[in-house]
Amino acid sequence: MYGGDEVSAIVIDLGSHTCKAGYAGEDAPKAVFPSVVGAIDQMDFDETAITEKNSGSAVDSKNIVKTLDSDKAKGKRKLFVGSQSLGFRRDHMDVLSPLKDGVIADWEIADCIWDHAFRECLLVDPREHPMLLAEPSSNTPQQRERTAELMFEKYKVPALFLAKNAVLTSFASGRATALVVDSGGGSTTVAPVHDGYVLQKAVASSPIGGEFLTDCLLKSLESKGMMIKPRYAFKRKETRPGEYQTVDLDFPNTTESYKLYSQRVIASDIKECVCRAPDTPYDESSYSNIPMTPYELPDGQTIEIGADRFKIPDVLFNPSLAQTIPGMENFAEIAPSVRGLPQMVIESINKCDVDIRRELFSSILLAGGTASMQQLKERLEKDLLEESPQAARVKVLASGNATERRFSVWIGGSILASLGSFQQMWFSKSEYEEHGASYIQRKCP
Amino acid sequence: MAVHDECKLKFVELKAKRNYRFIIFKIEDQEVVVEKLGSPDETYEDFTESLPANECRYAVYDFDFITDENCQKSKIFFIAWSPDTSKVRSKMVYASSKDRFKRELDGIQVELQATDPSEMSLDIIKGRAL
Repeated sequence: MYGGDEVSAIVIDLGSHTCKAGYAGEDAPKAVFPSVVGAIDQMDFDETAITEKNSGSAVDSKNIVKTLDSDKAKGKRKLFVGSQSLGFRRDHMDVLSPLKDGVIADWEIADCIWDHAFRECLLVDPREHPMLLAEPSSNTPQQRERTAELMFEKYKVPALFLAKNAVLTSFASGRATALVVDSGGGSTTVAPVHDGYVLQKAVASSPIGGEFLTDCLLKSLESKGMMIKPRYAFKRKETRPGEYQTVDLDFPNTTESYKLYSQRVIASDIKECVCRAPDTPYDESSYSNIPMTPYELPDGQTIEIGADRFKIPDVLFNPSLAQTIPGMENFAEIAPSVRGLPQMVIESINKCDVDIRRELFSSILLAGGTASMQQLKERLEKDLLEESPQAARVKVLASGNATERRFSVWIGGSILASLGSFQQMWFSKSEYEEHGASYIQRKCP
Repeated sequence: MAVHDECKLKFVELKAKRNYRFIIFKIEDQEVVVEKLGSPDETYEDFTESLPANECRYAVYDFDFITDENCQKSKIFFIAWSPDTSKVRSKMVYASSKDRFKRELDGIQVELQATDPSEMSLDIIKGRAL
């Protein structure tokens, strides 16, 4: 048993879009940075530089992909973590994510992100602090054991705990029983929580999250001739007070993934500023006359956004809408399996025991970054009222505070790890040494 | 999380002797203690008014009602009160300790969680009792 209350624990929520890290007991994470990394292949760097000179940039991007694959095998690449080092464009730098479908697929990158959080953001020695990690409901036992191994063997943490995202969110809102609708960057997950435990069988998830909406917006704007210029691709000078001159810069060595990453940063800001969930299902004709909203891009040009303001968020409710956006055709492959938000909620509730369905209907919790979308709560409540059984009292809850919505998982973890009564729950280093990594399954249900 | 002995004693009195209409509990210094006791002649309104608007509480209420068959009955409700406006920290403490506390109180028939008064209106209580 680990009984340390004296040293505050570290709480990390490695999400698909951003990584949140901070000290337990505080009300917001200390460090929030993108959970993608920039990777430059070290081994073949010189070689690519030469081929690039001869054959131009078109071949170059292909080359990078190839070298990266081989690189994974050799494990020799230089990784850049954090919003600052990602904001700086480097030749041949690819942007990679450690996660696939919400669970960790590339352990080297995940390790690098954790390391960055400890040593550069929080400036702590992980050997001195117990560690609470938030995990997705879909985490497999193998993943959890591997996490425990890495934390105890590499970082030598004194104690560890893995808590499910949905449980932390439901606790943070004061309910031990709730249906948690977590709409994050990479995916949307609907998970019923009963008395502090996730009902695994009824968990539903879809790949439609904030990033998917951002991509839709990006493609839709592109199809209308509005190109978003990444921040690195131009220079702005003040020629006279109040007058700016924009000079385009050309970097042929920039990888496609980095260009996309930089465009997404801008597009997601547009999305956060202007998008709003429509009150009724979107249809082309009734939204054709709505007023345009201006948005000024970093390079100074102002774009006008009309129906897309409502169309993009509606993809959450009606995923097939994405197929009508030019450039998103590849979505058709996954489309049949993806359902809208209200259907996911109802399906998930129907998979639960009859006795708790009523309670779940009346405590649907909205959390995650995408949940901050304006009018999303109202729209979801309305759609659910129409589709739920008559007797059910539908109630969608969301924290009024945008920070609380966005960081609900982290906040839940922060409070849990600082509770006096929680201290006996830690999976300690001595227990790890005695029972091995598989003991995590018993310590952290 | 510890539970003060008085909580259990008062609950048994409510259950067996029907000395109280309701009991309100709060968490203080990592321990659940009795905050308020309601006498048997107090009404449901008196009970809801005793719950603070901005703080979490646990409560037990002894609800008397008459069934469709004209039969006098009573049920003991357990209510977890955590208003949206309360601090996240206290919501979390109450939510994570609820299960442990409920186990101490043997004889609860209906459980309810409420974040605003509409979720524990008399109609809902009646609906759950029948």
